[in-house]
Amino acid sequence: MTKRIVINPVTRISGFMEIQADVENNRVVDARTEGLLFRGFEKMLSGRTPFDAVYFTQRICGICSTAHSIASTLALEDAMGIIPSEQGRYLRDIIHGCEFLQNHIRHFYQYTIPDFVKLPENYPLFKAEHSDFRLPQEKNDRLAKDYMDSLDISRSAHEMLAVLGGKAPHNHGVFIGGITTQATTDKIIKIKSILRTIYNFICERMIPDVYTIADYYKDYFKIGGGYGNLLSYGCFNSYKTLGTLYINPLVHTVGITCPFNPDNITEEIEYSWYKDIQDSSKPLETDPDADMSKALAYSWVKAPRYKGLPCETGPLARQWLSGEYRNGISVMDRTIARVLEAKKIAAVMNTLLENLIPGISVQMEYDTPETAAGKGLVDTTRGALGHWLRIKNHVISFYQIITPSGWNLSTRSNNMRGTAEQALIDTPVKDMENPVEIGRTIRSFDPCISCATHVYTGGKLINTLQVV
Amino acid sequence: MNDTSSTCPEYNNRLKMAANLVDKVRTKYRNAALRKRCLIWLELTGCSGNIISLLDGSNPDFKYLISHMTYFIYNNSLSVSEGENAMKQLFSVLGSDYILAVEGAVATRNNGLYNIIGRMNGKPVTALEAVKKLGEKAAHVIAVGACATHGGVSAAKPNPAGCVSVQSVLNRKVIKLPGCPCHPDWFMGTLAHILLYGEPALDSSDRPLLFYSTLIHDRCPRRSYFDMGIFAKKPGDKTCMFKLGCRGPVTRTDCPTRQWNKYVNWPIEDDTPCIGCAQFGFPDAMEPFISYNITREVRK
Repeated sequence: MTKRIVINPVTRISGFMEIQADVENNRVVDARTEGLLFRGFEKMLSGRTPFDAVYFTQRICGICSTAHSIASTLALEDAMGIIPSEQGRYLRDIIHGCEFLQNHIRHFYQYTIPDFVKLPENYPLFKAEHSDFRLPQEKNDRLAKDYMDSLDISRSAHEMLAVLGGKAPHNHGVFIGGITTQATTDKIIKIKSILRTIYNFICERMIPDVYTIADYYKDYFKIGGGYGNLLSYGCFNSYKTLGTLYINPLVHTVGITCPFNPDNITEEIEYSWYKDIQDSSKPLETDPDADMSKALAYSWVKAPRYKGLPCETGPLARQWLSGEYRNGISVMDRTIARVLEAKKIAAVMNTLLENLIPGISVQMEYDTPETAAGKGLVDTTRGALGHWLRIKNHVISFYQIITPSGWNLSTRSNNMRGTAEQALIDTPVKDMENPVEIGRTIRSFDPCISCATHVYTGGKLINTLQVV
Repeated sequence: MNDTSSTCPEYNNRLKMAANLVDKVRTKYRNAALRKRCLIWLELTGCSGNIISLLDGSNPDFKYLISHMTYFIYNNSLSVSEGENAMKQLFSVLGSDYILAVEGAVATRNNGLYNIIGRMNGKPVTALEAVKKLGEKAAHVIAVGACATHGGVSAAKPNPAGCVSVQSVLNRKVIKLPGCPCHPDWFMGTLAHILLYGEPALDSSDRPLLFYSTLIHDRCPRRSYFDMGIFAKKPGDKTCMFKLGCRGPVTRTDCPTRQWNKYVNWPIEDDTPCIGCAQFGFPDAMEPFISYNITREVRK
């Protein structure tokens, strides 16, 4: 007999989300991820000054705001024909690195750990319902202590970000040409000093912690695999003299790894509340009108696809594609890859810091073009992020955003489930009342969704998913 | 002086009265003991950036907040519980003493059905419903960040989700801490005042005077450049950014003296104009954020 499990809210993610999973014989046989993020940012951006996109789009997300400042800046530079200096790129990527560290540390300790480690119950916030805690007392206590200690470390990642970015969340530093301010020697050494503490914490605590969890939850190496299609737009790559410090744009589908080609991205609206002449289009082609009367549609999300295929994006995709970690594709591999990536990013940042020339100013006076179009594609904490824009009469006339969570938590299309929906298939559920396994699988994707929107039409609940 | 003291029969009493008042206040403050109270941090339509900013706070930090200042009952980003159990925990405070902090705007379209924060007994709970239910019964309501205080970016033109401020749906006093995000000290300081002495002194817009009384422009370290008419031409310059569209002259916060993220920096020190994120009307009324000389001829 099929039973439906509904989890809402899925806590310990950024934003609101609902999961519906159909379970037969204690295994998930079908699933829908309904993380809804619709505030209509694309509509809001229309008519605004192009430069404002950098600060405005950061407000899409409070935990990864820097990612949007980077993508919007790249899109503007592309539209305006501006090539940033190498020093400008280093500086910007250092700020981006700080955001990676803040995200990965908080995601691992504050969002993931509570699924596996019993936290002190005298805090109401840490009240847990399930009982699948397997760590011996001593190890459990060590990880619970690291949960608390990590708060200082993730905070210091944002402190480091603010040294060059002015403040966090929602930094002021990332801008066309690189960053706004100059990295003077005192700032560089301050960042290096903070980074050293973070790096030590990752090596001495975070990495041992994730392997401790892996030891006691080995079954999670076999849960949550999904399609195995992997995608990265690349990041910390193609520097003129430093080359690629992390990963070039790559994609792995049907068993073959190829260079990534942005022309192969489409957005499907077969199951989404939009009407257009066709169900599939490229990001800069169209901004379809809403149409909630569509029979098949259950979502606001326009499912992004690469050559028609749903793809996983994020730390595991990057670690696998770059050859850094190839143990497998699963819940536990995703979690380990995120932790290992934190160490990698800290090392990349150190290289960039070593190559800074202190006191360089990279800003110029810019003019908005009359008419232009551009795209900014970059891999960020949760995966592949793209901003596409058009400028007309010196203002933004079109804006399109496809977030990493859009890729990972997309709806179905062409009779194929979205990436996380597929990963949920076969997830075992021991206790129907406390299906901790489902949350563990979903959180391994680090969903970032800023508000769930469910709409009633004609008395019927329609589940919607929107990404920004 | 002598004349007054000898002729005015009330003179000595008056002197004593001042001393007595000071004594009274001193005793009251000395005896004020911090009593832990329940705290709910509700996220609505926004980016969850204020809870992240709260985690970025130091002295008091988040650990101190949950250990020594409050019984932190619920927050969507941090609660270990999930699903209905989480919702039960959220609403468990009803009927007892609690303080409600809200970040995010309230989506009103379709009776609030545009923003569901969870399910209770299988039924979706709208943000509108939750903030009304929890807001009416709370001992204090604190709107944290621009979306909660006035709609903020969630309500930016054309406001697709019909977002409004927390105050718009509550018929009671709401303390407002604008900012995008809210500085952790602005929240911690306000909360500490409530715990120790009750509601802090507020301005006519219900912002604590402690943090929001002075214009950024009045305490800007670059004020002397403004006074001398020396203006920056682009971000990265070290002079007054008034002509780049700096909103310091209309924004009331203590950013210049407090600074951000363990007090290492703030937007103007980062060589960028203030974008007025802590002023009502942000973002629409504060745009454009960056111009290259607002005094040049307007493009036709």
